[in-house]
Amino acid sequence: MALCLLLATPVPAGAVEGSQAQTQTQATIEVSRSGTDARAEGLDFAISDFSRLNKGTNKEYEGAYFGYRYPMASEDAFAVVVIDEKTALAYLPQNALNRLAAQDPSQGFAILLNALDEKASHGGTMLTSMELAYEYTSERSVERGGYRYDFAVEVEPGHYYATVTKDGSTDGSAGALFCDTGRVIPAADVFIEQEPVGFAAFAEFFTSLDLRPFWVSLRTSAVAIIFVFVLGLLAAWWSQRMGTRLKGVLDSILTIPLVLPPTVCGFLLLVLFGNSTPVGRWLLAHGIELIFSWPAAVLAATVVSFPLMYRTARGAFEGLDPSLGDAARTLGWSEPRIFLRLTMPLVWPSIAAGTVLAFARAMGEFGATLFVAGNYPGVTQTMPIAIYFEWMGGHSDVATFWVLVVILFSFVVILFVNGYASHTQRYRRVSADETDAVVRTRREVTR
Amino acid sequence: MKKFKLLRSVIAVLSVFALVFSLVACAQSKVEEPQTEAPPAGDTAPAPDPVELQIFAANSLEKALPEVQALYTQAHPEVTFAATQFKASGDLVEQIGAGATADLLITASKGSMDTAVEGGSIDDTTRIDMFANDLVIVKAKGADITVGSLEDVKSDAFSKIAIGDAATVPAGQYANQALNSIGLYSSDTGKDGEYDAAIAGKVVLADKVGTAANYVATGDCQIGFVYTSDIYRYDGIETAFTVPADAHKAILYPGAVLKASANADVANDFLNFCLTDPGAQSIWSQYGFEVL
Repeated sequence: MALCLLLATPVPAGAVEGSQAQTQTQATIEVSRSGTDARAEGLDFAISDFSRLNKGTNKEYEGAYFGYRYPMASEDAFAVVVIDEKTALAYLPQNALNRLAAQDPSQGFAILLNALDEKASHGGTMLTSMELAYEYTSERSVERGGYRYDFAVEVEPGHYYATVTKDGSTDGSAGALFCDTGRVIPAADVFIEQEPVGFAAFAEFFTSLDLRPFWVSLRTSAVAIIFVFVLGLLAAWWSQRMGTRLKGVLDSILTIPLVLPPTVCGFLLLVLFGNSTPVGRWLLAHGIELIFSWPAAVLAATVVSFPLMYRTARGAFEGLDPSLGDAARTLGWSEPRIFLRLTMPLVWPSIAAGTVLAFARAMGEFGATLFVAGNYPGVTQTMPIAIYFEWMGGHSDVATFWVLVVILFSFVVILFVNGYASHTQRYRRVSADETDAVVRTRREVTR
Repeated sequence: MKKFKLLRSVIAVLSVFALVFSLVACAQSKVEEPQTEAPPAGDTAPAPDPVELQIFAANSLEKALPEVQALYTQAHPEVTFAATQFKASGDLVEQIGAGATADLLITASKGSMDTAVEGGSIDDTTRIDMFANDLVIVKAKGADITVGSLEDVKSDAFSKIAIGDAATVPAGQYANQALNSIGLYSSDTGKDGEYDAAIAGKVVLADKVGTAANYVATGDCQIGFVYTSDIYRYDGIETAFTVPADAHKAILYPGAVLKASANADVANDFLNFCLTDPGAQSIWSQYGFEVL
């Protein structure tokens, strides 16, 4: 946002008091970051409490109709009503005119007004984008083109409005496009809060940043991965010992969340646990509100990341040489001992990699989570969901931040998996070398 | 050697779990921080029980409503607001139907509120039309585009037109009604119809009105149908053409308290505050909502 507007508008000599103005052809205008205050070099008055009222209201107050009304900043505030694309009616109360001293309002006052209006317009029609003929008045009631414009009307105690009325009608909205209001105060009394620049802007971005999506993501994935680790291992161990026909069916069911679009998983979970289903009603009757809550986010993450754990664990179990187990049995090892001291150490590298991948998948979960857990900041708003909603909400800077965080995180995960894999491979390479040596020795012996 | 390997993996598993649990604990303490800070502020007030209102509001209110909520909390420190859900009105009604809990619903069309009423979740006696809005065609700020009439949307100059998905987005329905008035959409309700071949390939459907505004702001679409109020909440878009009010149904925002609300009185009071408080009026005016 441009904070200082360098306007090339010449300020005619004599318009501004002081010798400075004599040679001044450019006025440096400062607008506060809130867009409510402005002052300019060489002007001894400033505008404060500015607001641009894009719409008014036809609403009655306690049964009485006051016209189409715009709230004014105060009783002694000015109001600039834009009647149509060509005319603007600027009401300046006597105290404001006093502050302008003898200066023509179309000079310094208009410069401040235009700067504030531009900042507040956000793409709406600006004062400066129309060729407006201004009519300045300090009359509280003015009639123009069939409408009556009243200023500083105390509609309710302590609150003042600019009103537009048309005789015999209860809709004066056609009599004005929009209205700017604010107060003229001495320049010394205005406080202009600067918009931070450079490092300060950076620091402010980070202090104002809501970091909760990161913690929600981490918390959701961390809890999900515990379930996934235990369930994945059990399912892999169990399915491996099943009859082949049943195994095929079961395997497909357990793996299908991997290939289904997450929205399908989300839809199925919503149908299964939603309040209109027996399961959902049963949960609700027992005081568990699952849908659109944090547990739902954990559930979604668990369902979609489970197959990754299950597949890697199953692959590792199947890759084991069954004769190893048999050999252990001949040595009198018990089944739990075989599992803990033989199977697990052998499959551990795959399991670890599977866990990390499943964790990363849980961190990246979006579709199913949005479906069943929704977007509740601080509760179910994970990083991927924050990215989507921040971008859609026009906060592309925040979205970019989260995108970078997620990329960095994924990079670390892949680095870890690769590092771990090469570490275990080194162990394998060593044992492969040993086998080679044995084979070579045997050959030599047979020779 | 084997024994060391096993020991290492056991330590690895244990440390992973330790890490996970410490992260969970850490995350929980982080998340609870704001909540533990909140009560002292409430305690200074005489006694009223703290109330947290959950509001479901039309996406177009995303910037204005939080300011009015902050104003209300200033006046009533015991009342705070849970993260308000700003989605397409149709999505909000669906979400309530699916079991989401809320105290107050504000939609951007009569139709979506009617659907919620039919669903049985709305206290119909509290229903009130809150705001009026206008439909505009917007373009990216400073873009060299002129739209002189509604018919101009057929122009070859536009290859992508952003319109809210009429299934859930009321702004999309109003846009389609306007398009229907010049024969570019087949259904006069603005729903369940087809776009005319002249624009069918150009229409980009958005999941909420803010998305349509953003598509135009980012330049992905040249023009889009949004509310006037959206111009004031998105940087980077400006009015190209104001759609005549008689080309579509009146754009009204009904608000109502939900039957299931545990704080129906507070919700109703907030609804009333939105419509009568002068401070709130100023906020609505600035964001381009006409209070009814």
